[in-house]
Amino acid sequence: MLGFVLRRALSAIPSLFGLLVVTFLLIRIVPADPAAALAGDNATPQQIAAIRHQYGFDRPIGEQLIIYIGQVFRFNFGESQYSHRPVGLDIRQRLPATLELTFGSLLFATLVGIPIGVVAGVYHNRWPDFVLRLFSITGVAIAAFWFAIMLQLLFSMQLDWLPLRGRTGTGIVLPSEVTGSLLLDSLIAGRLDVFADALRHLVLPVATLSLGALASIARFTRAGVLETMQKDFVLYERAVGYPRWRLIWIYVLRNSVIAAVSQIGLLFGALIAGAVVVESIFDWPGIGNYTVQAILTADYKVMLAVTLLIGVIYTIVNILTDLTHGLLDPRLWEQL
Amino acid sequence: MQISRREFGALAAAALAFRGQSAAAVEAGVFVAGQDLPANLDPAQVLDVQATQYALNAYDNLYRYEGNPAKMQPWLATDHTVSADGLTWEFKLREGVKFHDGSELTADDVVYSFQRLLAIRRAPAGPLQPILKPDSVSAPARHTVRFTLAQPFGPFFAMIPMVAIVNPRAIKPNEENGDWGAKWLASNEAGSGAYRLLPAGYVPLERADLEKYDDHFMGWSDNPHPIKRIEWRPAKVTSTRVLALLNGTLDMTDSFLPVDQVERIDKSSNAHVAKNVTMRLLVIRMNNTKPPFDNLNARKAFAHSFNYSGFIDEIVKGNAVRDPVPIPNTIWGFPKDVSGYEFDLKKAKGYFDKAMGEGAPMKRPIQMHVQQPLEQTVQAGQLFQSDLATVGIDLKLVNDTFANLTSISSKAETTPDMWIHWVSAYYLDPDNWIGQMYDSKYHGTWKASCWYSNSKVDELLRKARFTTDQEDRGPLYEQAARLVVADSPDIWIYNMVEVCGVSNRVQGFRHCPVGSGGEMRWMYLSA
Repeated sequence: MLGFVLRRALSAIPSLFGLLVVTFLLIRIVPADPAAALAGDNATPQQIAAIRHQYGFDRPIGEQLIIYIGQVFRFNFGESQYSHRPVGLDIRQRLPATLELTFGSLLFATLVGIPIGVVAGVYHNRWPDFVLRLFSITGVAIAAFWFAIMLQLLFSMQLDWLPLRGRTGTGIVLPSEVTGSLLLDSLIAGRLDVFADALRHLVLPVATLSLGALASIARFTRAGVLETMQKDFVLYERAVGYPRWRLIWIYVLRNSVIAAVSQIGLLFGALIAGAVVVESIFDWPGIGNYTVQAILTADYKVMLAVTLLIGVIYTIVNILTDLTHGLLDPRLWEQL
Repeated sequence: MQISRREFGALAAAALAFRGQSAAAVEAGVFVAGQDLPANLDPAQVLDVQATQYALNAYDNLYRYEGNPAKMQPWLATDHTVSADGLTWEFKLREGVKFHDGSELTADDVVYSFQRLLAIRRAPAGPLQPILKPDSVSAPARHTVRFTLAQPFGPFFAMIPMVAIVNPRAIKPNEENGDWGAKWLASNEAGSGAYRLLPAGYVPLERADLEKYDDHFMGWSDNPHPIKRIEWRPAKVTSTRVLALLNGTLDMTDSFLPVDQVERIDKSSNAHVAKNVTMRLLVIRMNNTKPPFDNLNARKAFAHSFNYSGFIDEIVKGNAVRDPVPIPNTIWGFPKDVSGYEFDLKKAKGYFDKAMGEGAPMKRPIQMHVQQPLEQTVQAGQLFQSDLATVGIDLKLVNDTFANLTSISSKAETTPDMWIHWVSAYYLDPDNWIGQMYDSKYHGTWKASCWYSNSKVDELLRKARFTTDQEDRGPLYEQAARLVVADSPDIWIYNMVEVCGVSNRVQGFRHCPVGSGGEMRWMYLSA
């Protein structure tokens, strides 16, 4: 298994390097002059020229690329052009919020999506199945932006049950940071008030972000269950009187979720991308919000670092997905 | 499944703990600001509306603009004198003013603040650089600051409120490689303003917490119940920002609200819209170096194709005043006799045909860049697009961001055919608008992105800049404006009525064109 992980990790390096080069060229090849944006209102042409020189924007693009790659190999992602803070520090500060949101959404989508998929598969072409199919299509088709606003209108404005935005309420003194996850850190510090507040703030963003994933997981699970239910071993077990739901939840489910697990791996990347929209609507202080700000202010070092980070996360999740496949079905190790 | 009474009680308690209090509760005495934060907290590095709002709270200035119409008010200075030749300016400082670290603010600190600004050479220094050198600022006495200008400079006094006074004793220990503490002050604060930043509560562009500075030089007797703490929590999306205002978790929005949201707030019982005529001009730029915009008749065809009254009356619902020249109609120097271009598609077609006859490529697709996050710019583009189509002009709208547009407009060849933006008030002098937009020495900056060049206009604007008497300067700007309008290099639409959503619990809101009413020391919260 270790050999497999090492092989996959090494094979990912050229992909990530390619991602870095292509992103750098795409961002820097457009006819924009970041120095002018950086100089701000009322800046004179001389000031803009001085900033261009100071940041090396007047050097050949190839030279800028080599310098940047050298920095990245030393895990130095440079400074934000605007805040002058190290990009690595800003990402470290914001990544836990995004991971909390993304893992929360994935967990919710998995815990709800798989049982729904199983029920729909078992009741094939009966009303639970029709309801699920309708839900799946709606869940995939619905725009996250619209759904988020509907949730805000209902649960924050009409019912006043859940907070509209942010990660905590006003006046909350945060526990000291251990993991970066507010839920975990508040539990570690024994601060149940902060835990409850953080959980309430997490509900609407998770509901929005997980909707598409939930529908997708349910659909794949349903398809897997339908296929497995046709297998001989199911017929045999049923013939010998094995309890029906025990058979479904243990044997049928295990043989049905491989496709859904692949889907979960892919969905993780989609969720990170989807977090850009969800974080903006709910003012969630994560990487998505940070990226939007970087795009709006043309802070290209932030854009590069975030793109690379998402690439790394995607790679890791893909490796983990393959490992999970192997654990669910040991025969697959031979193919990996 | 059976649930016992005890289990039900436990579940109910858990549910109550989870819900706890109203989701919309805000701590008493806390003001939640929804405006964007500046990209960087150093007042010497960033100049935009957000940076001005932050600096008005965390820092002080020698003089400050207050009210609407704005008036210069002595602030850290008690008064000033100017020599007859307009070259020597002396400002007397108040005594006993304290920075947030408790040290006294003296003339040496003012000298340091100006020298630091000039050394960092970012936007806030731009207008001062032509006339101020580091050794032009001196401190002849502990509470006297002297500026010695190389030549008389008309907008000098108007620019004084742009400079925030910083504390060198807080900055110098944090300097790195002679950076004047630029890196440190980007995330910290070294002022004497009415509120001080709590560094632990600051995350760039996400949040900033400021607390009331009890020892502020003005005292607080004018405001018996001032805001104790400001929690700056920018809302990125307009709908969320307005919903937060309506459910009481946010006290103030930005001043760029779209009309539908203004109507929504107007109907609410929790908040209202503060409407104030200001000095923010909406302009559609034309790149005068690119055909067909290098042709006067072509530019006039475009100028007559914009439905000014339709846009102002129907789309922005009257929250603007038609302004046909590149000077706000609320400031001196505005030429009252200029009516500008009116919406007249027949005239537009006439100019279109003339331009075609002169060989201008009027049929080529024209790209107009709009600022996607700012809905009004998109609406203006769509309206323009439909009217231009009837004239025979194919306008294509391109979504863009302000940062990218300011960036690509540094060269004539990369500046778009057209783009749309506002010009806000930073110093209240016509130079802030017409001076920087149409003097060719500013080519390469976004404000001069139409690449207009007229030697007579240059001469008038420079003469106005280097004349001190407002009586003499006014006619120069009026004359320059007439020439610019005749050349039709851009399309000037309106002077904005700022629409800012304010919670009903906020009292004492004072609008000023500089900072858009973001100075919070005047405000208090009703119960």
